[in-house]
Amino acid sequence: MLLDLKDYMSDMKGCARCSLCKWPPLAQIKSWRFSNTCPSITRYNFHAYSGGGRLALGLALAEGKLEDISDELLNIVYHCTACGACDSSCKYNSELEVLWPIYSTRAHLISMGYFLPEHSMILDSLRKEDNTLMKPKADRGKWADGLEVKDLSRGEHAGVVYHAGCQYCYDPELSITARETVTLLQKAGVDVGIRGSQESCCGGMAFQLGFQGEFIKFAESNIDDWHAAGVSTVVTSCACCFGIMKSVYPLLGKEMKFEVLHITQYLDKLIKEGKIRLNREIPSRVTYHDPCNLGRKSEIYIPWKGTEKKVLGQFILREPEKVIHRGWNGVYEPPRDIIKSIPGIKLVEMERIKEYSWCCGAGAGVKQCFDDFALWTASERIAEAKSVGAEAIVTACPWCERNFKDAIATSGDAMPVYDVVELVKQSM
Amino acid sequence: MGISRDVYRSFESVVGTENISDDPAILRSYMYQPFGSKKGVWADISPAAVLMPASTEEVVTIARICNRHHIVFKAMSTGWGIHNLPGVEGAVSLDLRRMDRILEIDEKNMFAVVEPYVICAQLQVEAMRKGLNCHIIGAGSNTSVLASATSVAGYGPDGLSMGYSGRNLLGVEWVLPTGEVVKLGSLSTGSGWFCGDGPGPSLRGIMRGWEGAWGGLGVFTKCAVKLFPWNGPTELEMKTTPPNYVLKEPIKYYKASFFNFPTLENLAEAARKLGEAEIGYFISRLSPAFIGLQMAAGADYVNIWNTGMLQDMSKYAFLFVIFAGTEGEFEYLQKVLAAIIEETGGQASPISDTQEMQELTATAVIKVDAVLRSSFRPTGGFNTSFGAMDTMDLALNQIRAGTELKNKYIRKGVIMDDGGDNSATIVLDQGHLAYTEMLVMYDHHDDESAEGAFQYIAEANQACLDRKLGSPIFQVSQVGKGKHGVFGPASFNYDKWLCKIKSAFDPNNTADPTAYSSPEE
Repeated sequence: MLLDLKDYMSDMKGCARCSLCKWPPLAQIKSWRFSNTCPSITRYNFHAYSGGGRLALGLALAEGKLEDISDELLNIVYHCTACGACDSSCKYNSELEVLWPIYSTRAHLISMGYFLPEHSMILDSLRKEDNTLMKPKADRGKWADGLEVKDLSRGEHAGVVYHAGCQYCYDPELSITARETVTLLQKAGVDVGIRGSQESCCGGMAFQLGFQGEFIKFAESNIDDWHAAGVSTVVTSCACCFGIMKSVYPLLGKEMKFEVLHITQYLDKLIKEGKIRLNREIPSRVTYHDPCNLGRKSEIYIPWKGTEKKVLGQFILREPEKVIHRGWNGVYEPPRDIIKSIPGIKLVEMERIKEYSWCCGAGAGVKQCFDDFALWTASERIAEAKSVGAEAIVTACPWCERNFKDAIATSGDAMPVYDVVELVKQSM
Repeated sequence: MGISRDVYRSFESVVGTENISDDPAILRSYMYQPFGSKKGVWADISPAAVLMPASTEEVVTIARICNRHHIVFKAMSTGWGIHNLPGVEGAVSLDLRRMDRILEIDEKNMFAVVEPYVICAQLQVEAMRKGLNCHIIGAGSNTSVLASATSVAGYGPDGLSMGYSGRNLLGVEWVLPTGEVVKLGSLSTGSGWFCGDGPGPSLRGIMRGWEGAWGGLGVFTKCAVKLFPWNGPTELEMKTTPPNYVLKEPIKYYKASFFNFPTLENLAEAARKLGEAEIGYFISRLSPAFIGLQMAAGADYVNIWNTGMLQDMSKYAFLFVIFAGTEGEFEYLQKVLAAIIEETGGQASPISDTQEMQELTATAVIKVDAVLRSSFRPTGGFNTSFGAMDTMDLALNQIRAGTELKNKYIRKGVIMDDGGDNSATIVLDQGHLAYTEMLVMYDHHDDESAEGAFQYIAEANQACLDRKLGSPIFQVSQVGKGKHGVFGPASFNYDKWLCKIKSAFDPNNTADPTAYSSPEE
């Protein structure tokens, strides 16, 4: 089992209840207005909705201190985008896991038979249609209709497989980016293919909701398919797919004979090698939103398995030493380097960036189940973007892009939202 | 023990459905309070409900409902520590998280007006934009500005130049346990927030006294605190140097130095003289264990500790920071500092002038952002002892007593071996006052360790009485009801006055008396 509350007992018992999980790392707070880090506690306020509150509830569940599983408990557990900001903030001063106990609490509740009705629909869609969006599997490859690109599911061969992901496959407004990505790669001379209608969900949402059996099924199947296709590189434009492939797939114990790259890493390399030239000026002042799964959550997660022994009286020493995932090794520079290489563009940073970036609000099923919360979270980010004088938000994940676009439309605003790839395309 | 549906609905009509809960999951999350719990992380008593008022008016109405229905209430701001929870069954918690605004920063008169949930880190960044700074307590900048100013202790190492929270308090808006609103100081006459006293006799002593009423005398809904000049940049940019965030650019005319002394007495003499010279921004006597834990964790820390290097280098040492406004002043401060250090037999640590030292200490000094590393992180359980604020001499006596007592428990192996003397000593108001806490780290999930730690604390408390070391901070609140009576007779029977105050201000005993006092019987 990947997710077991018992593995996190010492983390859940070790929270100091200091509330550091509620703010960005203290040294990085730049203003009162944007000094929150967790959308859930910021929106709902009760301590239970914070990283620390969720550790407390995970511990209470593991210790049998919550006799009834109330609707409110499920609300608390699932009104969380699993963005991992609490985890990064906590780990500035400690070695506690916060995010994985949150996942594990969900898995624990599922093992007890508790989850939300909306999750059943997502799960049904995954089981029947291989996607999280309740769309027919047969339509999965339509985004690429008319593209001259190899289909690896039909026996064609390529060194690189482009994994579009559920959102790009089924969101007609966004799928243009997937098409442009393939075209870009081809123009740069990359031997790229897709899996068309045979592409499957990465399993990331199943994992984040706690359905670990489903996740394992999809992850293993994807690894097998890519091995069968003989690819050396998997490239995806979806930060959520990338994050799960990069940080969790390796835990399955299956050999992965391919490299996983996010499109921003790949394009950055191609630009720096001169294989893509950006000539056209785009006079604009933009800001970049770090998708959580491309940033702090893309670090390869190494669960700690070992023993705690006491030295110096009561000093708790972990053997072996624990690898601390602070979110500092996420993919932060490639998208920024690409943006900065576009003539005419001025990149301005928001207050909360990189490992302490504010989430877009769409993650871990929140967009599907609690759209009002997702939109509120996005609106906070849009306000932050405006506060630094940005004319547009650039991001590198279709879930972020979709949610920002929806929030902007809901508010009647007109701020443009771009994927990095769109800007690259415009600048060529 | 819950509250009746009728009462619940009354509260609900005040704060709205979204801002009240008695759901077991919500309540359970509030019961998680490792700091101050005798063992483990769970409080024994659950609040009957949690309410989140958003305004003074809502707090007033809640207090009135509580009085009408004989329900005890207890307010919290950031809620760190068991003293934030009600200590009686059937009480309601007021989580003041929604009252989180900085209402005003008066640049000219150098004060800020804040609500309860504003943390020091937030106020500091906003103040710095205006060339000002605020005092941050030793627990860290994740704590409420208002709580330490109005209700709890409030000491920190920048207190050398910026006082302590209780002293920095100006105008206050206070909802009494009865629901009556009292405005303190200049606020009471409509003259603004600039002064916490008068006209006529000041109520500050009654409202707060030495270390605050710990929520036992109502709810403070707004307060003004003094701000201090800040000569640094209006925004401090950080770079990431694992495992620290360090300043991108050094601050002009800012210098942190680490000095060692041959004896504790020499160290104290240096601190006294530096205070008299009024040249410092920050001073903190830090123990070898505290320093080591700031720099390293896990096996790295243990290996460093076992070499004995830390203990040799920093047995009697303090971190001293000067921060000038001009080059001339900077030169002057450095010269005075060097002279005093020489006079008192101090020596600058070999790393003192290095860029690494300046980088590593600047954020911790200015933003107080890494205290957890040296407190809760090594063992999980953490507590403190002693802490009466008085003279440097008393601080030395507290250190000696605490070290002796702690060593006994270290030898038994029930608390962490931090060298015994793990005291955090600070000097406030340019040397007029000194303050020492003796830290103790233990495994709060280990019966023997938790029991040992609390036995040590009990002995330390007794030593405060026997050796006349002043009333211990935090212990009065943690040991609960009636414990002021233990320390009162040794301190002018202050406990009797607390009873009288409680009787006068809270005749129905509606504000939770557990960490404060019950009315006179």
